[in-house]
Amino acid sequence: MAPLSPFLRWRRYFCTNISSASPHRWGVKQVTKLNFSGALEEVGARISESDFIAVSLQRTGTACAAWHRVSAYDTTETAYLKAKRAAERFQVLQFSVCPFSVGACKVTAHPYNFHLFPRDELKIGMPSFSFSCQTSFLESLVQEDFDFNACIYNGISYLSRSQESAAKLRLGNPVRCSHFVKSPSSLSVADAVFVGRIKYRIKQWKDAYKDLNKNTNDALVRSLSQLVLGGENYGSRPCINIDVCSERQVQLILEILVEFFEELVPLVIPAKGGGIQAVRVILTSSKEDKDLLEQELQHLEDEETRRVRGFREVINLISASQKPIVCYNSLNDFTFIYKMFFAPLPSDVDEFICSLRSEFPQIFDLTHMMKDVVPMEKATNISAARSYLRSRYFTTINMEVPYKDTENEGNSTHGHNVLNICHMFAKLCSILKLLATTDPLDAHHGFPDIEKHANIFRPSILGPCDSSDESVRVWSSSKRRISTQDIVFLWGFGEKMSAGMLKSWLEGSHDAFSENCFNIRFVDKSCAIVVFFRPGLSGALLGTMSSGHLSGRLREMVSEGLKGASYEVYKRICRRESSWEGAELADAFQRAMIDTGHSPEAESGSKETDIYWCSDSRIKFDDL
Amino acid sequence: MNHRITVVALSRAIARTFTTVAPTPSSFPMKTVTRSNFEPALEALSDYVRSADFVAVDLEMTGIASAPWRESFEFDRNDIRYLKVKDSAEKFAIIQFGVCPFRWDSEKLSFIAYPHNFYIFPRQEISSRGPSCEFLCQTASMDFLARYQFDFNLCLREGISYLSREQENELLQQLPRDCADSGGFPLVNIPDLFFTERMKIKFKEWHDYLLLGGSSISETHGISGGANQQFQISFYKTRPALSLAGFTAHQLRLIQMVIRKHFEDLAYVSMNFEGSHIQQLVVYVDSKADRDLLLKEVKEDNHKGFKHKIKAAVGFRHVIDLLCTEKKLIVGHNCFLDIAHIHSKFFGHLPITAEEFGSSIIKHLPHIIDTKVLLNSNDLLQQLMKKSSTSLSSAFALLCPQIALGYKNCDLASLSRVKAEVQVDDIRVSNWDPGAKHEAGFDAFMTGCIFAQACSHLGIDFKLLSPSEDLAYNKLLQKHINHLYLSWTSGDIINLATGNMTTESMSSSKKRRPKIIHDNIVLIWGFPSKIMAGDLKECIVKAFGYGAVTSVYQIDETAAFIQFSRSGLVSDFLVLKETLERKNSTISVLNPLWKLLEGGKTRAAKYEAYYEICRSALLKSLFADQAEAIGIKCKTMQTHLEAIEGRAAREEDPPIREILSANEIMESLYSPVVEKQVETSKLL
Repeated sequence: MAPLSPFLRWRRYFCTNISSASPHRWGVKQVTKLNFSGALEEVGARISESDFIAVSLQRTGTACAAWHRVSAYDTTETAYLKAKRAAERFQVLQFSVCPFSVGACKVTAHPYNFHLFPRDELKIGMPSFSFSCQTSFLESLVQEDFDFNACIYNGISYLSRSQESAAKLRLGNPVRCSHFVKSPSSLSVADAVFVGRIKYRIKQWKDAYKDLNKNTNDALVRSLSQLVLGGENYGSRPCINIDVCSERQVQLILEILVEFFEELVPLVIPAKGGGIQAVRVILTSSKEDKDLLEQELQHLEDEETRRVRGFREVINLISASQKPIVCYNSLNDFTFIYKMFFAPLPSDVDEFICSLRSEFPQIFDLTHMMKDVVPMEKATNISAARSYLRSRYFTTINMEVPYKDTENEGNSTHGHNVLNICHMFAKLCSILKLLATTDPLDAHHGFPDIEKHANIFRPSILGPCDSSDESVRVWSSSKRRISTQDIVFLWGFGEKMSAGMLKSWLEGSHDAFSENCFNIRFVDKSCAIVVFFRPGLSGALLGTMSSGHLSGRLREMVSEGLKGASYEVYKRICRRESSWEGAELADAFQRAMIDTGHSPEAESGSKETDIYWCSDSRIKFDDL
Repeated sequence: MNHRITVVALSRAIARTFTTVAPTPSSFPMKTVTRSNFEPALEALSDYVRSADFVAVDLEMTGIASAPWRESFEFDRNDIRYLKVKDSAEKFAIIQFGVCPFRWDSEKLSFIAYPHNFYIFPRQEISSRGPSCEFLCQTASMDFLARYQFDFNLCLREGISYLSREQENELLQQLPRDCADSGGFPLVNIPDLFFTERMKIKFKEWHDYLLLGGSSISETHGISGGANQQFQISFYKTRPALSLAGFTAHQLRLIQMVIRKHFEDLAYVSMNFEGSHIQQLVVYVDSKADRDLLLKEVKEDNHKGFKHKIKAAVGFRHVIDLLCTEKKLIVGHNCFLDIAHIHSKFFGHLPITAEEFGSSIIKHLPHIIDTKVLLNSNDLLQQLMKKSSTSLSSAFALLCPQIALGYKNCDLASLSRVKAEVQVDDIRVSNWDPGAKHEAGFDAFMTGCIFAQACSHLGIDFKLLSPSEDLAYNKLLQKHINHLYLSWTSGDIINLATGNMTTESMSSSKKRRPKIIHDNIVLIWGFPSKIMAGDLKECIVKAFGYGAVTSVYQIDETAAFIQFSRSGLVSDFLVLKETLERKNSTISVLNPLWKLLEGGKTRAAKYEAYYEICRSALLKSLFADQAEAIGIKCKTMQTHLEAIEGRAAREEDPPIREILSANEIMESLYSPVVEKQVETSKLL
């Protein structure tokens, strides 16, 4: 080990250097399963005393193929479907949470970086059986010196709400029934017989046990009589299991216990495949002993819940606080959050937004807040936007991060992105004068100006409008909106084509392609979007292409394999999961054509194939 | 520049010391190879492989099954078993590759093993054309590796990348296009206009200096002066040149245009240095001929650079190529999946059938032997194994105790044992502590030892073998070569050379199950979640009579196989299901089968649908979701119609089929079928 020591000195030297000179000089508390329970309490306290909560996720990927990524030509629906797919495939490895308060020119932040790993702690194949990794994402994590060993060895696991209920069923741990309501229905004959029998059995067991305690101290005799009585021990207390066949019987047993046996505590034992197998009745010696037992049971239950929920406890804290949440790209982040901690993602975007709002009433998306301040092309990522803001606006925001990193020096720069989010949020608020009028004391009740920025899930590259809107922007840098009706997808034009070349090829080849009437953008190498600036042209083009009455250059191109489809077909592709295979959009279009019973040849030849007009009925077919 | 890189590298190296260090798992000596020592290690390895008698390999992957229903089942047909292996090999990544050449040392009468442990990571060395841009991890496998202290940090940071042959060929075909003209385009915006004017002046200045001042430009206050670092004066192929730095792609395009338009004797050149970074230069040329010569040279250099880059990106595949060219006997333990991984990662896409796979792989690796097959096929070895598990570590402990325990307690019995020593970097070790399981290098070593010991039990005396004799052609091994377990659980063995499948006659240790007849099987999914296998059987037995169901096998919580006693019952079941669903009346509810259909999402299909579902690359964790997503539901109707038609063909005269519509035939058939079933169930 001797040769290591000069190295260690180096390390210390570098470390101080980093903390003074690096731009990420703020310490972020790193949380793994080793220090999770302590951090949980801490973060709970921080959440309750702060105004906002910033979150930031480190994923293993978004999408490999270009057309799988959310882009300006997407509607809210297709954007959601793309985000949904990413959330279903990839995994979050780091989840940074930062409760913060904004004062005049000052932000007080408490950043925590949680390392997550979907370890199957309960051996039931949850939270996720497998997950995808995008190589380039892992590589950029490597660049940031991400510690994969820490993540995989000691990452915190979690279960979503729906997984938790499934897990509880499968684990079959006894459940305490503290909240018990007496049923109003009267007893049937069978019930009465059952009640009588159970009452007698419990009474006999209890009395015998009491006698036993009084009369003999011989351990052997005791255990023998216990065998005879059919009792067991629950910890140091005796107990008896009563098998049941229905919920009704459970109810009856609980009623008997409440009515006649004060000193007995019931536990319900679930059956493996759901339902209830038995009721365990525990004998306590006195009122105090009963309270003690109930406390013990409560404690056990809390432990169990914490073990099952894992990191979801933090999400629950955030949700329970009902504080506004700040993030960078809400659609991306919250599809992941929803899938990981609540339930499988619904197929409908409105349903998603609706149920998300009931968990988190206010979500601020920085990409939205900056859309009036930062030009689109500068807002591609958080650091670009930050440097743009820094160069254009002079506002000093002092960050105060009370956390002093003592234990794990050097590692504490992970998850600093969440601090950038806090900082940028404060900066934007000050530029947009959103928080200026308010008294910092009654924080989240009084930001009237800011509310209009909340809960916009449409990715800002798609531009501002509600989810029912059917127009897109196509070019992320342009503000012009184009109805999806005026968009045609073209493919089958061979490789090595550029937008300019294709445009000059198409110009004049058809009436629709007259000069200045259309423009072209490539989705990927294989497929281009044609945008018409006059309504009706798209239909005319597709009509001609499928009719076969072609002439001139267009005819040549069609015969060489050029094909076209409307935006509706694109939407259908996004809705169908099986069309996502294959990296290029042209493949997906090709397959979509075959799936709907139109071979691509028929598409250009026969009369009835205009996907454009029939598409509505086909979508319904898919929705079935 | 260089200095900065070292600082970055150093600081990174130092930062690494903060990160969680995987505890050194073993004191077993083996060569750990990462990208930092790959080239010298490859060179040394090629000598070892060349002189080796056989090479043992072992792989660690990021997972085995992408979903619970993709795991191997008893009910899988052989083609489906292969599809499952194919899916696994396509989706998961190799993260560690153990290669261990074994050479018989006739002087020491012992094998010398050279265990190598390669860390692999499918990094994208060439933009967007890497091995694969996405791979899957099975949570349980990652956790398993973590428990054995696998060093993920080392793997991701220092893992060696690779290209398959297919990918390499694709890349070689698309050599970089010449920096051909991007076509003149009109300058529309003012900044572009200003920029081109400025550039024109700059280049004119430099051009004039060149002509007037000769080589003394560097002393003048030319464009190189001041803080302007965008131009650096240099020489390119003995011609004066300006290297451009810090321009955007758009600006470079403008510069290119300026040069072409306004300067006859300047050439714009884009250089690809060693394939690593691209450098733009403006070069002075004497004449048009000189210019053409220059451009030709540049083109050749760029191609060379690009090829060099590809060669570097081939990375770990050089090891595989080495194994292929040397044609040594490859030894693995239960290695069908490993071989499939090797094919898909290093050769090319996996074919759709096992037969094609076999013939494709033996073209590359002609002699493969599986120690698990070897151990199970020979009675003597079975006895030695005392019928215990043939898992790698237990076979190692049983067959090679002397090696497993590191020769610590030698006794007389060990005379028949084959000896093995380990050599790492010219240092020979014959004594070590038991190594870490699930490190690919050590696993490969164990596999090799088992093979050597098994050979000796089969009667191969290494002492008598002449050095020239190839083990791969030894007649005692011939009937095992290229025989691999397609699935260990079922004992199905595939002969890679012929594509023949045989089922190993299982020794009595395996309990006999009812024979599986795939024609008698119905696949059912999407039933209410509270129904378990037992309930399924009960429902169907109630509807079709006792003895109708041979067995029920649950795939996951949403799907199950039901094997009927007769193949006819399969279509009866499908028809009855369809009828009940269509009528959806109170009478349907009374049918015992209704319990299965509650919720309206229950689907059923013949066994063939299972093939379709497994063939799809789509990934859903629940079987029912998968089936839904690929649209198998439509198939139900089709099978049903086929069933009807089949019946019609059997029971009615052909002409009727022409007159009646399919629907009418169905109507005519439903009622008797249902009644018949009800009767039988009453009777029983």
